[in-house]
Amino acid sequence: MSDKPDVWQGTLALMVLKTLETMGPQHGYGIARRIEQTSGNLLSLNYGTLYPALLKLEQEGAIVSEWGTSDNNRRAKFYRLTRVGRKQLEREARNWEQATAILARFLSPAEEA
Amino acid sequence: MRKLRALWFRLRGLVASQAAATDFNAELESHLQMHIDDNLRSGMSPEQARRQALIQLGGVEQTRQAYRERATLPRLDDILQDARYGLRMMARNPAFAAVAILTLAVGIGVSTTAFSWIDTVLLRPLGGVSDPERLVALESVTPGGEWVPNSYPDYQDFRDHLKMLKGIAVTRPAAFSVGKDDHAERVWGELVSGNYFTVLGVQPELGRMFSSDEYGDKPGAFPVAVISDRYWRSHYAADPNIVGKTIRVNQHELTVVGIAPAEFHGSITAVAFDLWVPYMQQPVLNGVGAWMLRNRQNRNMLGIARLRPGVTMQQATQELAALAGRMAIANADVSQGMSATLLPLSKWPHGPQGLLAGPLRTLMGVCILLLGIVCVNVANLLLARATVREKEFSTRLALGANRRRLVQQVLTESLMITAAGTILGVAATPWLSRLLQALMPPGQLSLTLGTGLHPHVLVFTAGLCVLATLAAGIVPALVSGRADLNTKLSAGGRSGAAGRGRHRLRSALVASEVALALVALVCAALLARSFQQTSRIDPGFDPNHVLLNQFYLTANGYSLEQRKEFCRRLAAEMESTPGVTNVAYSDGVALGFEPSWWEDLRVERYTPSAGENMKIFRNVISPGYLPLLRIPIVEGRNLTEQDDEKDNSPLVMIVNQAFVQRFFAGRDPIGRKVHGWGDWFRIVGVAQDSKYHYLGESSVPYMYVPFRQVFRADMNLAFYVRTQGDPIAVLPQLRAAVRRIDPNVTVFDPIPLREFIGASLYPQRMAATLLAALGALAVLLAGVGLYSVMAWSVAQRTQEIGIRMALGADRASVLSMVVRQGLTLAGVGLAAGIILALAAARGIAAVSITNSAMGKGVQLAGATAANPLIYLAAVIFLSAIAVLASFLPARRAASVDPMQALRSE
Repeated sequence: MSDKPDVWQGTLALMVLKTLETMGPQHGYGIARRIEQTSGNLLSLNYGTLYPALLKLEQEGAIVSEWGTSDNNRRAKFYRLTRVGRKQLEREARNWEQATAILARFLSPAEEA
Repeated sequence: MRKLRALWFRLRGLVASQAAATDFNAELESHLQMHIDDNLRSGMSPEQARRQALIQLGGVEQTRQAYRERATLPRLDDILQDARYGLRMMARNPAFAAVAILTLAVGIGVSTTAFSWIDTVLLRPLGGVSDPERLVALESVTPGGEWVPNSYPDYQDFRDHLKMLKGIAVTRPAAFSVGKDDHAERVWGELVSGNYFTVLGVQPELGRMFSSDEYGDKPGAFPVAVISDRYWRSHYAADPNIVGKTIRVNQHELTVVGIAPAEFHGSITAVAFDLWVPYMQQPVLNGVGAWMLRNRQNRNMLGIARLRPGVTMQQATQELAALAGRMAIANADVSQGMSATLLPLSKWPHGPQGLLAGPLRTLMGVCILLLGIVCVNVANLLLARATVREKEFSTRLALGANRRRLVQQVLTESLMITAAGTILGVAATPWLSRLLQALMPPGQLSLTLGTGLHPHVLVFTAGLCVLATLAAGIVPALVSGRADLNTKLSAGGRSGAAGRGRHRLRSALVASEVALALVALVCAALLARSFQQTSRIDPGFDPNHVLLNQFYLTANGYSLEQRKEFCRRLAAEMESTPGVTNVAYSDGVALGFEPSWWEDLRVERYTPSAGENMKIFRNVISPGYLPLLRIPIVEGRNLTEQDDEKDNSPLVMIVNQAFVQRFFAGRDPIGRKVHGWGDWFRIVGVAQDSKYHYLGESSVPYMYVPFRQVFRADMNLAFYVRTQGDPIAVLPQLRAAVRRIDPNVTVFDPIPLREFIGASLYPQRMAATLLAALGALAVLLAGVGLYSVMAWSVAQRTQEIGIRMALGADRASVLSMVVRQGLTLAGVGLAAGIILALAAARGIAAVSITNSAMGKGVQLAGATAANPLIYLAAVIFLSAIAVLASFLPARRAASVDPMQALRSE
């Protein structure tokens, strides 16, 4: 596990928001699994770290939570994206794309040289 | 916005953390279950499934912790925990907490009260005006450099010629009689120039203020008035229709044109006025001859000016002084040597601020001193406790607590104590403020000294609280944070050995406390002594058994002749009343609160040197005045009823001894001629010197002129009745007599003369009374501090003392050892205190009561500042306290049973 990179600071919230956008309302465990799968099992994610991040998003109004029933009939707390959350996702995704694009230009082999 | 929302949730989390924790536990549980289900489905054994799920989660406890930190505010959570802990400690040592909180409450309460008064009287700008910081006072200056009010013609010149001032207004406070004849009421107001509200920038709450049409100088042309919000609410139930209606003021109809805003109380700080009338109504309302408005010597208008934007006060003052200089030459007959100047409004010598500034500043200084003593005391108590808790702190450090957290905890406790003290102190402030108000002189004006807590004051008090917390808490906190775990834990519980350094610290604190107490005591004693000396000064007349009543007859529409007639008839009525021995009346009252007037004199065969002040204070009196007050005539004769206004009666005056000394070198005054009021007066008698404005004043040249010859429309009327017994007893007869003469005249505030002249002592009385109380408190607190340190030190040394006694030391030597230690501490403090007290005394000596023309140079404690006896007495007194404070613990130490002491650990 130690050879996998940790989740970078600040990107977890973005991943959570994106996951909720694609999957619709989802519980914490589901979100964690989904993030792991999407990363192709390349990320090392302590599921526990997800909960403070979810709480923070909830405090900021990006998501809301509600108790419900899971696919295999377990009681679970489901998180849902709000309008504020959608906007935040859009904004942060754009920022992130910009940042990676810039970095990519730095890191890609110099073409014109 | 997002951050704020999150912060709000986290704050709520602090309160609701129990429910939230349960909810999160359920969520975590369901998370694990789902994970285990999946693991089972992928073929793990139940134990393995659970183990893997836990590993992936990263630990249940860690997750909970991380969640909780996000759910609440960990820093604040710590503080709350500290506070809860502090409360528990306080509950366990209620005596400690009570002493600390109560002393702090006293210190903060008195400081807040003093500050709230300073704030109202000295600091707060006029309410309800725009840009109060651009407003300045305009004062005329006599050749002798004293500040006096302005005359109307001078005002007109200033107004029309000064370029650097945006506007100048003048005002004269006055009593009005408002309402219909038989239920008229006295209302204090101001006679103002028409531009008054414009210069001050006061916007009407309703209606309008005086318009530019009403700025003119035409006597009697503006029968209008503005009333205060307070008066509007109390008398007209805030009826908006009052605007445009007329009210009856001094028997004349005035149209109310507007209501002043609630914050506006007039132009004198701390005094509430209710009515504003154009000064040009003065001839109509008060029967003052229009010629008097044109008289440059009629200096009774207070001037307020607004600086033009971008002009400094210095520039404007230069321009004003230049103009005043030209005016003094142009009107040399009446204004020779006069000048004028601008002052910040806070330096204005008129009204309460002029009288109270000195005493209040002194009071504030002593309050701060007292608060300092309190803080040192609390610091001491906290230090003593820190010693007791040394082991607790060392253990916590050893268990990995960080030092900052320990410091924070001690500071939190200190803050809780000061906060509790502050709340109590603030709660006591209105009460203390009322107490202070009770010391006010018998009210002639209604003061608006707020007992309410102004935001300024609250900020000041909050600042005090923080300062006190730091002052009291920083030393104990740092000491606690420095706790060295090795020595403390290995000292095997012997707390005595480790405390040496700390003991030195506490000793230094106590010494400084003694020093502060000495300063407070010396200041208090100086003022009390000077008050005592002043009040023992013989005023030169006999104020006992005299009833004084001031009439405002012009308010009843009396003409000058009617007023003289009223006096004559009332005097006749009262003279025939049983129990009454003398009756008299005059314009001014000696040693009163109201200003005294003077006249420019020329003395026959006396050539004044250049710039010599020939303005001599005067009183206008009835023939009975000097005998009634038992002021002896030392030469010549008294005034008689024959010195009247008839054409063939020569004008006469009586002068005092100081007058004779100054103008005639003490020789042959009778028959000499003096020119004033546009005529020559002949001196017919010399009265003994007495006190006229302040008991502390040095001899002042003074003159008396007959009521019937000089009494003018703008003068007051004070009526005196001397009785055989209690002067108040003749009050019913006085009221009845007044009613017989005119039912419309009301006897407003009769008062025994004895009490009335007490007003002249007011600043000193206030300073002395308060400082005596504060000084006593300071001594008490210092004594408590000294006692607690000695008691603590004895308790720490119980074992040592036990060993000494076991080895043969006797009671007396143990006693003297402890007392000697206490006295050494006190001695160091006293030595430092004397130096501080000398400096403080010099500061107090420089405080003079007023800088107005009357009573110049009368000081709060001028003569006594260097009185060595006071210092000696204070030192001896404090030493005695120190002996007592160390004797009690010493006795306990000496009664220690050696066996008990050695076994005690």
